[in-house]
Amino acid sequence: MSKARKSLIKIKPKRYKDGEIVKVSFMVMHPMATGMGRDKKTKKIIPAKYINSVKFVYNGKEITHMTVWESLSVNPVFTTYMKINGKGKLTVTYTDNTGEMNEKTKKIKPRG
Amino acid sequence: MQRRDFFKKLGTVAVVTAVVPAMSFAGNAKPVGPNKMDFKTAVNAITGGKTPQKSNKVKLKTPEIAENGAVVPVTVSVDSPMTDTDYVKAIHILDGKNSNARCIDVFLTPANGKAMFSTRIKLGGTQDVTALVELSNGEFLIASQSVKVTIGGCG
Repeated sequence: MSKARKSLIKIKPKRYKDGEIVKVSFMVMHPMATGMGRDKKTKKIIPAKYINSVKFVYNGKEITHMTVWESLSVNPVFTTYMKINGKGKLTVTYTDNTGEMNEKTKKIKPRG
Repeated sequence: MQRRDFFKKLGTVAVVTAVVPAMSFAGNAKPVGPNKMDFKTAVNAITGGKTPQKSNKVKLKTPEIAENGAVVPVTVSVDSPMTDTDYVKAIHILDGKNSNARCIDVFLTPANGKAMFSTRIKLGGTQDVTALVELSNGEFLIASQSVKVTIGGCG
């Protein structure tokens, strides 16, 4: 686990019931350098640094996993749907091509 | 040294002097991406030789004209019940002209409840964005849309 980046898990709608299908989006502040761009001042190639894989795990069960390549935008957003199935927590783990690995958790509390 | 030989050597010297600066330029030229992949090879690598079918079930939502190629929102939704026996296995988002045709591969499970994925991608120029969907019964569906890019966003 390396230095934490700013990341966020958003669930829509905010209030949800058990068994409801909700929209989950994960955002992370990441440069997503392709390895083809240049620094405007120094004219040196910016080395490639992009997210390799993302995993959504809910109560120990994998919901979605993704293989990511370089052509995603800077500060990427990943949005999918998820079925709420009882109390617990959602963990999103992502890995970098340079070996950086981080995770973000959010408590799931269905109401009503 | 004969006159003929002299001209031959002169020729090789001229070639070398012409090539060397070109090579030093090559070090300064646009570098090739680490993962270079053609659109056709990318589709073949995903489907394993099968031909994907065009379908109305797959809905690809992108802007027709993107002012900034660095941020192009893409939404793919598939009409599927998402039960244990009939669900969407994977959604692949591909582009036509970037050095790497593959953008993202999303592997879904029935626990998702709804087959939909959205993200933002970079496009180097005007090209087609394609969504390739794999169903649980092994079928492949495809949908594509061209996106006009006014300012390229790669690099």
